[in-house]
Amino acid sequence: MPEPQITVSHLTKTYRVPQREPGLRAAVRSLVHREYRDVEAVRDISFAITAGEVVGFIGPNGAGKTTTLKMLAGLLHPTGGDARVAGHVPWQRRPDYLRRISMVMGNKSQMMWDIPPLDTFLVLREIYRVPAAEFQQTLDELVALLDMSDLLTKPVRNLSLGERMKCEMVAALLHRPAVLFLDEPTLGLDVSIQRRLRRFIAEYNRRSGATVILTSHYMADVAELCPRVILIHHGVLLYDGPLGGLVERLAPFKLIRLTLDGARDEALPDGLEVIEQENGRLVLRAARRDTPALTARLLSTLPVIDLAVEDPPVDAVIDQIYQEGSV
Amino acid sequence: MRAYATLIGQFIRASVQQELAYRANFLISLMHSLLNAATGVLGVAVLFGQVETVRGWDLGATLAVLGVYLTVGALRDLVISPSLDALAGMDGEVWTGRLDFTLLRPVDIQFLASVRHWRPFALVDLVIGIGVLVAAAARLDAAPGPGDLGAFLVAFGAGLLALYAVLLAFIGLTFWSPGFLFSWVFSGLFQMARYPVGLYPGWMRLALTWVVPVGIITTVPAQALAGDVGPGLLAGSVIAAVGLFAGATALFRAGLRRYASASS
Amino acid sequence: MNHRGGWALIRRTWASWMQYRGFFFLLAFGWMIPPLVYLFVWSTAAGGATVGGFSRGEFVAYYLVLILVNQLTYAQTNWIVGDVIRGGGMSQWLLYPLAPAYHVLSSELAGKVVYMIFVVPVTAVLAITLKPELHASLADVLAFVPALIFAWMLRFLWGYWLALLAFWSTRADALLAVQDALVFLLAGQVAPVALLPGVLGRAAEMLPFRYMVGFPVEVLTGQVSGTELATGFACQLGWLAVALGLTWILWRRGVRHYAAVGG
Repeated sequence: MPEPQITVSHLTKTYRVPQREPGLRAAVRSLVHREYRDVEAVRDISFAITAGEVVGFIGPNGAGKTTTLKMLAGLLHPTGGDARVAGHVPWQRRPDYLRRISMVMGNKSQMMWDIPPLDTFLVLREIYRVPAAEFQQTLDELVALLDMSDLLTKPVRNLSLGERMKCEMVAALLHRPAVLFLDEPTLGLDVSIQRRLRRFIAEYNRRSGATVILTSHYMADVAELCPRVILIHHGVLLYDGPLGGLVERLAPFKLIRLTLDGARDEALPDGLEVIEQENGRLVLRAARRDTPALTARLLSTLPVIDLAVEDPPVDAVIDQIYQEGSV
Repeated sequence: MRAYATLIGQFIRASVQQELAYRANFLISLMHSLLNAATGVLGVAVLFGQVETVRGWDLGATLAVLGVYLTVGALRDLVISPSLDALAGMDGEVWTGRLDFTLLRPVDIQFLASVRHWRPFALVDLVIGIGVLVAAAARLDAAPGPGDLGAFLVAFGAGLLALYAVLLAFIGLTFWSPGFLFSWVFSGLFQMARYPVGLYPGWMRLALTWVVPVGIITTVPAQALAGDVGPGLLAGSVIAAVGLFAGATALFRAGLRRYASASS
Repeated sequence: MNHRGGWALIRRTWASWMQYRGFFFLLAFGWMIPPLVYLFVWSTAAGGATVGGFSRGEFVAYYLVLILVNQLTYAQTNWIVGDVIRGGGMSQWLLYPLAPAYHVLSSELAGKVVYMIFVVPVTAVLAITLKPELHASLADVLAFVPALIFAWMLRFLWGYWLALLAFWSTRADALLAVQDALVFLLAGQVAPVALLPGVLGRAAEMLPFRYMVGFPVEVLTGQVSGTELATGFACQLGWLAVALGLTWILWRRGVRHYAAVGG
């Protein structure tokens, strides 16, 4: 087992948020005596990531994913615990460390607005001190991968959201970081751009060996890109492992979709739960281990035109976790 | 060092392109700059058309104060203001959280925040300001000798450093109160720097020394040009400017730490 | 004329602006400083004696009145007009069964009230500290009121027709900035118009800018009376007529152009 590139142990982040009741009297009182409330955004999280992995952080809004990501990027100081990324303590913000990481935020742009993206790239080249030849090579490679050569000379304000996100990606990768933090990179993008970006991230990871940590609310992103997910909820790490394992553990059943020819006049076999029923279509739920047998019985006892066996939708599973707050 | 110089060069290049992207009406801006300077000069001229001196200040010396004001203002508008103001206000980097990107760069934050954006048009104001300074120097009782010019440069540098420090301190305060229009308040108070600090009543001079160090920024350099400044005052000016700079830097960095520990 | 609609609009605008009064107070503060600078400069110059016929106290009085008059006549809404035209909001204004003049007027009135809540107390405090000498007879005060109203109308309309140029060109607000600078110079801020020498003084007496700010101040401080007062009013009303004419013409042409071009 290679030495992990990222180690996080007992990382904690607590915010002090000023508390204030509504109303005039409370407002005056608050001038003299400030009341605070502690918000534990991240509670005692530990994990390790080896170089080159693609890991997804999932969890509901406000769970602490972005806070954790920002601590690893050095943007926030933790209240407790330790972390090491690529041999550095992130929040010390050494220039050597900052040169090796990069961050893309789906809801904020780092591009200069009124001028073409290429000009922002040139400034970044200087900031990160990338040698000219290497810069050109990297730029050409990224532009080819993202198919965006015609965008380089248009002012950023004239680009669509998807085109801008492509530029953000290039801007983040010009200095060939060893670790890439992606905070909701596909936010608000249309389906085809999302797929494009996913393929790009996967390909980039494959070619460069950069470690990628991704947070996203789109399960499709996580399912396609991340062999490993870390589930954070209420600041606590609930699960660390393959996404499939999460689904299996929580939802050890399968869905059977049937289309029937004519009415159903026989009772269903035991062990099947009806989820949906409409005209001749049925959606049934069965325990995983019983599914093959039950499927065979259904086929033999009912006038089945069409039958499909599916895994439960990841979204529903995740939603269940979010609601119940535990795994 | 060279890396920093190249970086600044890149920033200037990008800023020029952003300016050009707007195709601002050069002529009207030029007229505006000239009008502002003319108003200032005429104000002084009208005053000294009525009196010979005011509290020891004559036409040449007062014009020199105006010249320093215009020149320092131009340098502020050239780079210090455009760069620092990007952090403040409702669409500034602190409020919107875009400061995160700036914090990720492997370059010192204060350096980045201070020289990132340039407004090349301010060069016109700079030329006008220097023009007024030269005209003032010509009107002085005694033409400035090399010693005076040396003292002037030192005092001017101290004044510029003090101005930068005050602006930086206001940006530091932005971390505690992101929406507040500090720069507008300062611009208003800075108007008082057009005239020698000696012209204001005593109680005001105190505020003008500590809140807006108008005396150091414009009055002392003008006195130096007029050959009217002793080594004590000059040294005091430099020390005060350096002190302000140290204080402002500390405040700025304290604000940054607060941002880094609070933002989510 | 939709008076009820207009009045409702004015009240609503005032209420919403009061929410942001901190912001507006700051703006008013910034606008007060330049006259204050000249107050100090001139009163210090006068010292114990007089300069150009003004004593220290008279300079203080002149500039304190100037601060009030300047704030009362400053037409900040003209800056909005250009924005509204460029931003396409003019289409919405033209749809209301309410002349667009009401929108502008309501901001004006609302703004004035909010600013005054700040400026009046501050000026009062300054008056107590700086001890002005004000020689105003009853006649001066009576003449002051119409002079002030006409001054506001003139300053507003003059800026308005300039702002209407936004129908044709996007750079109109640069001209507004130029106008502000000219007002600063020739309207009695840099120095009372009486003290402006030679050509400058004569130009100031003929151009409209003095009648936007300086003239009412001069009336209240007792600087003009008799024939000078009459001539002053005549010039003021003359320029007001010019401004009205220009506004009228540009408005009609502008709306036609706007509709043709498709705002």
